[in-house]
Amino acid sequence: MSRAIIPATIVTLIIVALQLEVLSTLRFSGVVVMLVWLWPLAMGLTGFTSLALWVALVGGVLFDTHSTTPFGLTAIVGIILAYGASRLGREGIGDLDSAAIWVTPVIGAVGGFAAPLLYTFGGAFALNFGLWRGSLLTMMVVNAFAFLLLARPVTRIAKVLSNVGDRARR
Amino acid sequence: MATERSRRRALTAGVGVTALVVILYLTGGVASGLKGAANVVVSPFSWTVNQVARPIGHFLAGAINYSDVVGQNQKLRYELGQAQLRANEGWSFERQLQQISTRLHVPFVGSLPTVAAQVTALSPTNFAATVDISVGRDNGVLAGMPVVANGGLIGSVISTTPHGATVRLITDTNSSIGVTYGSGTTTLLISGRGVNNGLAATAIPLATSISPGTIIATDGLEGGLFPAGLPVAKVSKVSLTPGAATYNLILRPTADLRHLSYVDVVLWEPST
Repeated sequence: MSRAIIPATIVTLIIVALQLEVLSTLRFSGVVVMLVWLWPLAMGLTGFTSLALWVALVGGVLFDTHSTTPFGLTAIVGIILAYGASRLGREGIGDLDSAAIWVTPVIGAVGGFAAPLLYTFGGAFALNFGLWRGSLLTMMVVNAFAFLLLARPVTRIAKVLSNVGDRARR
Repeated sequence: MATERSRRRALTAGVGVTALVVILYLTGGVASGLKGAANVVVSPFSWTVNQVARPIGHFLAGAINYSDVVGQNQKLRYELGQAQLRANEGWSFERQLQQISTRLHVPFVGSLPTVAAQVTALSPTNFAATVDISVGRDNGVLAGMPVVANGGLIGSVISTTPHGATVRLITDTNSSIGVTYGSGTTTLLISGRGVNNGLAATAIPLATSISPGTIIATDGLEGGLFPAGLPVAKVSKVSLTPGAATYNLILRPTADLRHLSYVDVVLWEPST
């Protein structure tokens, strides 16, 4: 992890910048695709739990600093996705090279579908009960579809980065 | 063994960072400082991405939507002409209304000073309807001030920096506005329903008569959050359940919130 942490952090910063500058204006059915959630999920699928948790924390906290929603909630959802995905990644499920071609996109879609729901539940714990009033189902469907399409390319980037750490480990 | 240890370490780290985030959230002051520091970290990357992405985005949008842009331009020219005509017609009425309002001690919107601002960013998330604008404390903008654009109220300032401010739109789920319509004898409370869902008013007594198309405006009650007379929304649907003692309203904002480029901050502070 120590070798991969710097490039992973830089890529995370670029992801956050892309999220803020491009994706916040490029809406689909009025919904923002949350790349800051897909990135830790993809990193988790490589099996590097600590690295996935780190990018989830950094990306989530930096994103939350630009939002008026409860601070830290995006980070927590990212951490949950990263941890769940890393459990699968460690078992080889979602691995780009050995698993079936549809597995990674389907895991991504499930993550994209679940993430807004997790966020809304998290909002209730942060005593913000208004989050569910938005178009929750639309958010879930749009993010699921976007994650379905983007899961493989993003996981490929995560795999390249994690290989840096893997080489260092060997 | 090593796998078990690393798994435990990862789990501990995960729990630790989650606890840290919760603590930071609960201690608002620390979070505020962290926000400032994080802005400094992200801003160079945001600037770079913006410089690269914006020209590409404009090129693609221009190429794909050229006919729409031409159509919009013609429509805007027509609307501008109509607005100028109405402005000329309304001038004498405005003068009369201003005199009456002064006598009634009701703050008249037209006489309140405003500051023009450019919208610099939309809300980055699906869960909050906000925009960032280009004026802040240095321009006299304070939290709580109303913001208008495109012919109606769009929201109010919720936070400021020396050179910028964040505006919570009226469609935000945390937004509630006291409004009135017609002769101004009936007041309602309307609330946002989320980024793409407009506004709603619930539990309105059947004795209150209101029909689709009615334009409602801020009530300007003593101690209220907005001055009187700012157009807020138009009733688009009246939802009546048979047998119920109340009914609900679905409303569409008067201002087009999807195309916000420039706004006016009304330099009016809510009375405490």
